[in-house]
Amino acid sequence: MAEIKSKYFHAINILTDNCTGCTACVRVCPTEAIRVRNRKAEIDPNRCIDCGNCLTVCQFHAIIPKSDSLEILQNFKHRVAIVSSSYAGQFTEDISYSAAKQALFALGFDEVFEESMVTEFMIRMIREYIRANRDKRPILSSNCPAVVRLIQVKYPSLLPNLYHQEAPMSILTRYLREKIVAEKGLQDSELGIFLIVPCVAHVTAVHQPEGAYKHLQDGAFSIGMIYGKVREYLKDAVNNPADVETYSKGLTWALSGVQAELVDCEDIRALSVNGVENVKDILSRVEDHYLDQYDYIVLRSCTNGCVGGCLNIENPFVAMSRIKKIIKEAPAREINVDPLAKLSEAGEFDVAPLQPRSIMELDKDIKNAIKKMKKINEFLIMLPGLDCSACGSPSCYALAEDIVQGKASIDDCVVLLKRHNREEADSEYNE
Amino acid sequence: MAEYWNIAPERKEFVESFFKDCPEPEVSLEFIITEKDFNTAGKGSAEIKNLLKRLGIDSEILRRVAVASYEAEINVAAHSVGGRMTSNVYDELIHIRFEDNGPGIADIAQAMTPGFSTADDLVREMGFGAGLGLSNIEKNSDMLHIVSERGKNTVLELMIFFG
Repeated sequence: MAEIKSKYFHAINILTDNCTGCTACVRVCPTEAIRVRNRKAEIDPNRCIDCGNCLTVCQFHAIIPKSDSLEILQNFKHRVAIVSSSYAGQFTEDISYSAAKQALFALGFDEVFEESMVTEFMIRMIREYIRANRDKRPILSSNCPAVVRLIQVKYPSLLPNLYHQEAPMSILTRYLREKIVAEKGLQDSELGIFLIVPCVAHVTAVHQPEGAYKHLQDGAFSIGMIYGKVREYLKDAVNNPADVETYSKGLTWALSGVQAELVDCEDIRALSVNGVENVKDILSRVEDHYLDQYDYIVLRSCTNGCVGGCLNIENPFVAMSRIKKIIKEAPAREINVDPLAKLSEAGEFDVAPLQPRSIMELDKDIKNAIKKMKKINEFLIMLPGLDCSACGSPSCYALAEDIVQGKASIDDCVVLLKRHNREEADSEYNE
Repeated sequence: MAEYWNIAPERKEFVESFFKDCPEPEVSLEFIITEKDFNTAGKGSAEIKNLLKRLGIDSEILRRVAVASYEAEINVAAHSVGGRMTSNVYDELIHIRFEDNGPGIADIAQAMTPGFSTADDLVREMGFGAGLGLSNIEKNSDMLHIVSERGKNTVLELMIFFG
């Protein structure tokens, strides 16, 4: 594959040898980032938002997730894992969450923390932020890295509405890094903090965080990648349970609907939206100010929220049901949030203003853009309008745009080619 | 026949010469609006917004175009037997014309009043018909022109400048 130059990292690889050029990925990409050229899929890194749709739809294992190898744990003296809330929903009900958490130690971690530990604190922080920013409505959640990137590329005018504070796993990282380094007398470089995540977007966010001021995590492992190993250790964890504490009440973070309900209160109206197509629809309406009655909108690219992440094992609805069951049966467990509150007040969780990565403009100059638009319309009239993707572009419109931008030719249209051949054959016959 | 004009004072001269010269648009888009079809009503204005995004139009202008064209499109679907929406893009502005096939507005001044609505139960059940459509269009456009005759049809056209 011809690598398109870009400053953007993505946690997705295309295995060219496996790619059949079927265009399934081209059709499911929410930002039209994929083209099939010379019978191979190519991803435009400027457009990709790491949603993982292409990876899920590919039948040929040609689109695969990038994930760090567990071997990198060896580079650190003290290794800490922070596990995403959706992890709890990936196991059958005979396996307790504490056993599933215990099994993670066997992968080589000295300590395991949970995203869910800070959920309650997050809710508090989000509410304070909403109240302190009355001039911006609605505030949009920023936890889902795919949503943040979607707004950067397609809805840049909404960037100021994003909740400009770190996500829970990064907040926890900030807090733990200082605390553990001091407690264990370590150098910062001796401490490795790693995330266990449900999707490619979170892997990307670890390697290229948006708006982060300081060094956060040292790597990310996907739930899908470690699952096999975890299963090996599970039996032992079930038979020899150690005293592993869990913070199950906060697992709500994995469920977009429940998270909105938690933020919602007397003076804050919250809305929950999940699934990337729904998110696009809602963002377009926010742009038009049709949803200003909401104070906060929870936006997640995957079905039901992070439980729908493409690198999870379990179906998002089953996983959601399991997590809800765990939450219901869990004992309340308080954590001391004073140190977090102190860091928050000191601005340690602030995020730098997020910058647009706009892909929408045809040209910087409006007159040239109009000229290009005219040409696009001319090509559009010639094209059959079937949106079959056989040319390798997602739609006839996208092909017309690709032609005008010099990235494709009208001869790429298979339908036109066939019509042309038929006409030639007919005229030869008539002669 | 009744007629209604509202032009931003600083655009008056331009609008007059525009209607006199009738310049050719650079880009033109057309949509058919079907009576009471609220599933597709709104697609036209969404397409217009997408088109203007590609031209790099400022986001605040984009919002005004989106709101004005959406309200007008919904009006045609809710109150008429259907019609068409023609959007013409020029270097410095967009001109959108909504022409329906009847039945016309009885009293334009009354229809412009915020809160006044003749929407039937079906339309209200769909969540439309709050009576803010026309005043919203007026608020968001630089030029609004309505020509209507009860028993015939309505033509609504609006202009929004890019800068």
